[in-house]
Amino acid sequence: MKLIDRYIQEVKRHLPRKNRQDILAELRSALVDAVEDRAAGEPTEDQAAEVLKEFGPPREVAASYQPETQYLIGPALFPLFKMVALIALAAVVGAQLLAWVVAIFLAGESFAPWDALAGLLSSIPMTLGWVVVVFYLLQRAEVQPDLKSEDWNPYELPEVQAGEEIKRGELITGIVFSVLLLVLFTFFPEKVGFLTTEDWVFYTNPVILRYLGWITASLVAGITLNIYLLWQGRWTPLTRVLKIAVNIFNIAVLAVLYQGHVAWLAERDAVGFLSTVERIPEMVGGSWQELGMQAFRMGLGIALLVTVIETVILVVRRVMISLNNGEERGQLPTG
Amino acid sequence: MLDMMKETQFSELYEKLTQELRRGMLVLAVLSRLDEKRYGYDLISRLDEKGLEIEQGTLYPLLRRLEDQGLLTSEWNVEGSRPRRYYLLSPDGERMLDELTGEWETIVETMQGLLENQLQ
Repeated sequence: MKLIDRYIQEVKRHLPRKNRQDILAELRSALVDAVEDRAAGEPTEDQAAEVLKEFGPPREVAASYQPETQYLIGPALFPLFKMVALIALAAVVGAQLLAWVVAIFLAGESFAPWDALAGLLSSIPMTLGWVVVVFYLLQRAEVQPDLKSEDWNPYELPEVQAGEEIKRGELITGIVFSVLLLVLFTFFPEKVGFLTTEDWVFYTNPVILRYLGWITASLVAGITLNIYLLWQGRWTPLTRVLKIAVNIFNIAVLAVLYQGHVAWLAERDAVGFLSTVERIPEMVGGSWQELGMQAFRMGLGIALLVTVIETVILVVRRVMISLNNGEERGQLPTG
Repeated sequence: MLDMMKETQFSELYEKLTQELRRGMLVLAVLSRLDEKRYGYDLISRLDEKGLEIEQGTLYPLLRRLEDQGLLTSEWNVEGSRPRRYYLLSPDGERMLDELTGEWETIVETMQGLLENQLQ
């Protein structure tokens, strides 16, 4: 019965090492029993094939001898895995945002926002990968997490969270403001600049003109998300993540603009903002333009800082919500 | 077309639920036949006689697990036409069979009560 030999060989390839020979010997004797039972005289290969077909594919038979269902990360470890993965991701994203701020405000070398954004994106699968590797090793070592499920206290359950509702007023204000800016940037880009009080000359901001496309993209992204939020009426896990993504994009655009202003001013050897203000009385044309650009730079810097802080808070809150409530909450029907 | 798909889905689910229902029962069935030494294929025939079909691919790994859990002992016997692995209840296995049988009686009684209307 050659087929049985071939079958046994195939099962062997997938069997765990422990007791392998013993299991194979038993399988062989059982298969021969079954085939002989079926045949009146000398069994044929067709009869063997029939029995083998009933017995099941070799890989499945071998798998049923595995001590447990095989998991990369088993159900006992999974909740802990999810928690650690979220914390690790928040930490990595948060640390990089902080590093951006340091790079933009403190470091002398120029900050490359698109490289930084690419770095941020690639750090996410890398972080997840390492967490998976660690948990895979824990799973292999059969570590059982002790989550004290025995003595949990119903009275210690977290309060029902009211924070899921959106703030309508805030969203509408945001939309109106963004639309006004969008109209301004789209139809009158040459009107973005500053007017000097001395000779009433209007200077267009050259850096903003250069990055108009990116500014428009960031405004449109923000407006779209806000409208969607208004329509939905409440935060969901998806929109929270989208909000963080839009914020990170905004940070990148603001960083580019900030860098642009710094470079523009450096080209003209401009002195600091305060020294320029001190010299206002004796200033002429060109210096007024520098003062204006410095004011723009300061404003952008503040906007950048505020957005970074807001994003870090959003990331932390997102993680806290995941840890407290699980994912389902946000998807509950609104009615 | 849609009805056929629904029908397939239903029968797949039925298969799955039946399997789940049988899974716990199989251990008790196997233990009940091992008060004397038997080898795998013999065990299958005995269960079959009583109307319980069990696939070979399910039985052999199950026997291994029960042995690992200390409910069965086993040894090779080379006296027959070919070597066969014989299984027998261990003292723990005998006790477990008693306990589970008691549990089974309770389950049957409870389920009879619950399914009163369906069973008529």
